[in-house]
Amino acid sequence: MEHELWFTALLNRLFAHGVTALLVMISSLPGLAFVRPADPIHPIPNYFAGEVLVFLVIVIGAIILRARLSVENPGKLQMAVETFLQFNHNLVDEVIGHDGRPYVALIGTLGLFILLCNLEGLIPTLMTPTSVVYVPLGCATVVFLHCNYHGFRVKGFFGYLRHLSGPMVWIAPLFFFIEVFSDFLRMLSLTARLWANMLAGVTLPDVFGSLVPIGVPSVFMLLHLVESFLQAYVFMILPALYVSLATSEEH
Amino acid sequence: MKTKLIGLATFVIGLLYAAPALAAAAAPATSAGGGTDWGPIGAGVGMAIASGLCGLGQGRAAAGACEGVARNPGARPGIFLFLILGLVFIESLALYTFLIIFLKIK
Repeated sequence: MEHELWFTALLNRLFAHGVTALLVMISSLPGLAFVRPADPIHPIPNYFAGEVLVFLVIVIGAIILRARLSVENPGKLQMAVETFLQFNHNLVDEVIGHDGRPYVALIGTLGLFILLCNLEGLIPTLMTPTSVVYVPLGCATVVFLHCNYHGFRVKGFFGYLRHLSGPMVWIAPLFFFIEVFSDFLRMLSLTARLWANMLAGVTLPDVFGSLVPIGVPSVFMLLHLVESFLQAYVFMILPALYVSLATSEEH
Repeated sequence: MKTKLIGLATFVIGLLYAAPALAAAAAPATSAGGGTDWGPIGAGVGMAIASGLCGLGQGRAAAGACEGVARNPGARPGIFLFLILGLVFIESLALYTFLIIFLKIK
């Protein structure tokens, strides 16, 4: 079993009973036997504890910010969040167009969550949840469902199917197959991109730290810092692009 | 004073970096049949080819973007968006190689 971090240990101390009971109950359903935890005293893995920490930081930060909102003299946190929101609006306007504002909710949340998850590994005694494949896969699954839901919502059931089948009737069966396949491939590539970049980001300091333990790893930590922002940005552009492809009008 | 303190803290963190990779013992490179295990070598060669060609492609993209911004600095935001998108899609091809290596080499 991997080394248990302090926050994971805390969560396991508090919630191990309930989580184990819940997972055992789910694993009794047909086909879901793999969710049964290997160790009933430590059912919560490190990456999930990391996600919970990020979730708590975002929610508590939002509650504190909500209580202090002010038009006359905005605080530093409010300014930062407003800048982030403005950045989201610009991105959505540029990628989706003028009717893209409703999609800011998901895209901004994803960006913030992934950015904080990426940066979490730079804090000593914590790890990067996105360097474990399940976390990016979860985010990519949300994006996949979101894009297809909005495709069906905007174009209607048959309209979206026709959109997937391409412009020409005689090539539609092939086109439909390729479109659906590439839709799933997008989920794979979103997952693989974030996960592989973050895995490389946390592994590089380890590798170079084993060669030269002084100074050199911090250079690669800086690289990880830059990469964290870049990958969060990419994970905001691509869902926006996919939504715009799914909901765009035919020309 | 504050900058000096921050510098000192960075230096100490750099000094204190633990090296968990050292703790991993090297496994003998033999396959189940007793012969040499060529998997890691193939992984290294494959990843080298993938990242080399990906580097060529990304270099062309970055060169094109730089040239575009040099000719028309006003177009910077649009070019930046397309540069990032292009780099991301080029990079994902190398990442597929990484993925296959990760799946095949345990």
